[in-house]
Parts: sequence; C-alpha cells; structure tokens
Amino acid sequence: MVIRFALAKGRVAKKAIELLIDLGYIFEDYSEKSRKLIFTDTTGTIEFFLVKSPDVPTYVEKGAADIGIVGKDVLLEHPAQVYEMLNLNIGKCKMCVAGFENHPIPYGKKMVVGTKYPVIAKDYFHTKNQLVDIIKINGSVELAPLIGLADCIVDIVESGSTLKENGLSVLAEICEISSRLIVNQVSLKTKREMIDPIIKAFENQL
Amino acid sequence: MLFNYTIDGFENIQHQDYFALQQINHKLMSLYRSFGYHQISTPTFETYDLYVNEDSIPSDDLFKLVNHQGKVLVLKPDATLPVTRMAAMNHPNSQDVIKFSYETNIYRNFSSPEIIKKEITQIGIEYFGNNSPECDGEVIALAIRSLLENGINDVHIDLGHVGFINFLFDDLAFSDKEKATLFKYIENKNIGDIADYLEKLALPDDKKAIILKLPLLYGEPKTVLKQMEALCINDKMHQVVEKISEIYAHLEIIGLADYVSFDLGFTNQMNYYSDINFKGYINSCGEPVISGGRYNHLSEKFGIPRPACGFAIDLLKVIDYMEQHQLLPRDDQRIHVIFYEKPQKTDAYKIAEQLRSRGSIAEVFLLNETKESQVSSFQANALYKNAALYFLAGGKLLSEHNGKFSEIKAIDAECEVA
Repeated sequence: MVIRFALAKGRVAKKAIELLIDLGYIFEDYSEKSRKLIFTDTTGTIEFFLVKSPDVPTYVEKGAADIGIVGKDVLLEHPAQVYEMLNLNIGKCKMCVAGFENHPIPYGKKMVVGTKYPVIAKDYFHTKNQLVDIIKINGSVELAPLIGLADCIVDIVESGSTLKENGLSVLAEICEISSRLIVNQVSLKTKREMIDPIIKAFENQL
Repeated sequence: MLFNYTIDGFENIQHQDYFALQQINHKLMSLYRSFGYHQISTPTFETYDLYVNEDSIPSDDLFKLVNHQGKVLVLKPDATLPVTRMAAMNHPNSQDVIKFSYETNIYRNFSSPEIIKKEITQIGIEYFGNNSPECDGEVIALAIRSLLENGINDVHIDLGHVGFINFLFDDLAFSDKEKATLFKYIENKNIGDIADYLEKLALPDDKKAIILKLPLLYGEPKTVLKQMEALCINDKMHQVVEKISEIYAHLEIIGLADYVSFDLGFTNQMNYYSDINFKGYINSCGEPVISGGRYNHLSEKFGIPRPACGFAIDLLKVIDYMEQHQLLPRDDQRIHVIFYEKPQKTDAYKIAEQLRSRGSIAEVFLLNETKESQVSSFQANALYKNAALYFLAGGKLLSEHNGKFSEIKAIDAECEVA
C-alpha cells in the first residue's frame, strides 16, 4: 500500500518536502528542477506529486491522493469533503481587504472588489451586508484599484510590502491563513495504520 | 448557431451499463426479499411543504415546479421521507413491523461544482417498528452484503451515533452558533481549529479536553468503545456506548464484524438521524457509496410515532467502481441475425420465431445488398459486434464465419454466449 501526497506547487511544497525528508523518507529522483510528475521514496511507501494549489483539495476529495498539503485560502475558496486534520503553521499570512487608505470601505454604498478569491470575498461582504460587485482577477490583483477597475481588493497579505509599494494598505482583516494537512475521508479509515504515524510525525515537527 | 443539449449533472446510461444496473438491481432486490422486505415505489414529485421544514436538505438544493393549481412541487430529493410517509399512511398501527425496499431516482439541484450528478439512482431499505440492536444489525449487515454479493470485497462500514455528541453538548449549554461551529470542526476532524475556538469559550478545562478527543474517536471498535466509556459525563452517553456495543456484538455473531469500524465524529448532517448512523465505503473508492442510520422521530411528522432504520446505496457510484474493476455483469447473449431474399421471407420469420421460442435473441432483415457488404456494415456496428449472421439466399441457409459462408441445415443452439 502506498500513501499519496498531493502538494501545492510553490514555497509550501518545498517546506512540506523538507518535512518529509526530515521524517526519514528518501526521494532519490527528486530535485527542484526535475520534470518528473510523481516521486516515490526509496521504501516505496510514500509518493508525492505537485499540482496547482486549487487542485489539491480535488485530488484528495476524490481519493486520487490520500493526504494533501494546501493553504487555508484554497480550502475556503474551493470547499471539499476532506478531513482538515492539522494546522501546519507554515505559509502563514492573512486574508485582507486592501485599498487606498484615504478611501475606507464605504459601508452602505455599492463597491467594486477585485479578487482571486470570489467565494471568500462574497461571503465576507455578505456577512457585513455590504453591497459589492465582485470581479474575478487571476493575478496582480493590486493593479485593479490603481487603474480604476476596482475600489478595493481581497487578497492574501504576507508582509504587506507589495501593497505599500503600490500605495495601498490593509482596510480590514478577514481571517488568518496557514497551510493545512488534509486527508481523504476514506483513506483515513482504510489506511489508518499508515496514515496515523505520518500525521503524528507532522504534529511533532510543529 | 451551436446546439448543445447536454444538461450539467445529468447523464445517459449506455446499454451495457443499464443491463448491469438491472442485473444488480435484481440481485439486491432478491437479497432484500429473502430478508422479508417488500419493494415499493413512491411518486417522482413531492410537495414542497414536505421538505421545507426539514433541515436535512437545504431548500436551494430542491428542484421546484408549480402545478396547474399553483401548488409548489419538488422532484423527490430523498427516498426516506416519502417511504416513511407511505408507511405512516398505510399502516397506522405504530407497533407494526414494516420492511420496505425501493429503487428510485432522486434529484438534488446542487449549485456547485457543475460535474456533480444531480440525478442519483438509489437502492435501499427501510425497517420500521423495531428499535432493537438486532434491527440495526440487520440493516448494517444488508448494507455490507449488498456490496459483497456484487463481488466487491473491499467493503468498509463506519458506524457512529449522533447521540454521543448531542448528549454531551446538552450538558454544556452552547449557543446554536457555537454548536454549529463545533459540529463542523468535529466533522472535519479539524483538531487545530477546535482548540483555537475552545480557547475563546468559557468552559471548564476538563470539558474542553473531552471535546478535543471527539474527532479522534474512530477506528477499531473495541478500542473506541473503551475510549468512549472514559468520556461519558452522563447516563445517556453511557446508554449510547451500551447500544453501540450491543450492535457490534450482534455483527460479531453473524460474522460481519470485520467489515465494521467506529467513527463517533459524525454529527447529524442529515437531521433526521436521531441515533446510530453509518457510511459504507469501498476501500479504493474515495467517496462513500452507502449512507444509513436510525431515524426514530421522523414518522411523528406524519402522526405515527414509530422507530425506523435504513440505508441507501448510490448505485451509479458502485457501478462506476465495478466497471473500473471488471466486476460488472456483461450482456453476452448472442444475437442471431437472419438476412433473407424476398422469396424466402416466410422461412426467415419461421426460423426467427423458433429461435425466440427457445430463449434466443433473433432479428430478421431483408437482404438488399451483397452478403459481403451486409456483413461488413453489421460488424462495424458496436451493438452487433458479437452477432451471428445467417443468410437465406438462393434456397439455402448460409452461416457466416470470418467472411466465409458455409451452408448449414439449421441454426442450432450452438454457443449462446458470445
């Protein structure tokens, strides 16, 4: 039996792979530049593959992967039927509303929001009863308010330096984001004797 | 203009799959019948009022229609409610034991994601009027056997009891919102967030420790029972432990306990489950294929208080799995196709009828091109891939084999299986 990991490409995957290596698994064929899609450890008990972050919950929900490591932002934006078992406390940042400091959120008046996270943005503004038009943008979200496409943006903020450089600032914090270890609901039960030690090991690394 | 007649979430069932579906259906219905279940059917439409007060299905997930009287109808989103109503209407004596089985399509207007099936074929049973652990045991046993009988051996049942968490929470005075949040975290086994959330609540530390252990109450039944025993803070929780251990003991007696493990982290997402609930999994299939449980208060809605327990199988999910693992029954009965020249029409129809009377499949066509082109056009048709082709031409009966024709006296019952 093999335990499959789906990892979100990027910084968090690097950390997750480091964690796996620290736990004693050896991936001979893995290097950052490798173009292989699936990597297996030398004992043949663990495999991982790298996918775009929004795909991680999908792979895990459908059982194509047993375990996934992905940011909370993705889980909020693409809810999936998975067990969200560990907060790994890596890749920490905040989901924020950002805009021009001298233009606070105009509660009571309709506002245009540019974001990569339309679901999170909609949920947030709906709970505040704020009228919004949401425009889905796939990258460089900070650009939207600068050129007048949107009044403000909803995005993840780590250091805030990109915002600052573009004359924007955080208007409201929506929630904290960090990487989570998610597990397929069936695998947790049927492959328990293999998954439990892995979760324990991750827990101890925290 | 581009025409696209596909509707997201709805699918055609191909002939081989439908054949398999009928075979599986038949097999399961015979199994349930051998345990005394009577097959019934309820209408495709239900009144909206039946579901609007039921928290189990969000109103947005219902397909609604208005009939000519202005009454709001829904496409049946669930089988248990109508079957319970039927039992209540036809069997007013609440002590009656009633065992029903059904096969039906249900409809859910899921908003996302678009690939999710909105028409779901369910097969299931409902057992009314019996509140004993033996009744629960029978229902769980039939859920397991439904998969085993179809050649699926990697069966796994997760058994829980919504009472364990509910009776604990009854003693802890949470607000509805706090309860809902904790339920969501427990169901997701999100231990990290439970801990953070509990920090903010005014609750004694020992109670917090109990809640933190709830998501981990899963796995090998005997171990879990011991862990549960240690967490009980009131009599009702003790009763839950007792009940669930009796069910497990029953499953041990009938030899199916190996397929069962416990998970007490189920909260009641289907709100009518009042007691035990369970999910059935196939090991290498990422989603549950069976869902069931006990719903002792649902029938009160229809004026007859009556305990009940049942389950439903998502049949198309099971068929998908069986197809991937070559477990599907195949339709391999040979089709006999007879081509005739006009003068021999009487013979052709007579032969066909003889074949049919002994249980064979026979089809008759007028031969209006050469034998060779007839053969090649039928062999190109997937539906006739394994057909046996015959020709009544020039006063002779010919049989085709690998492009060659040889005269035969009669079509014998040779291999009926392709």
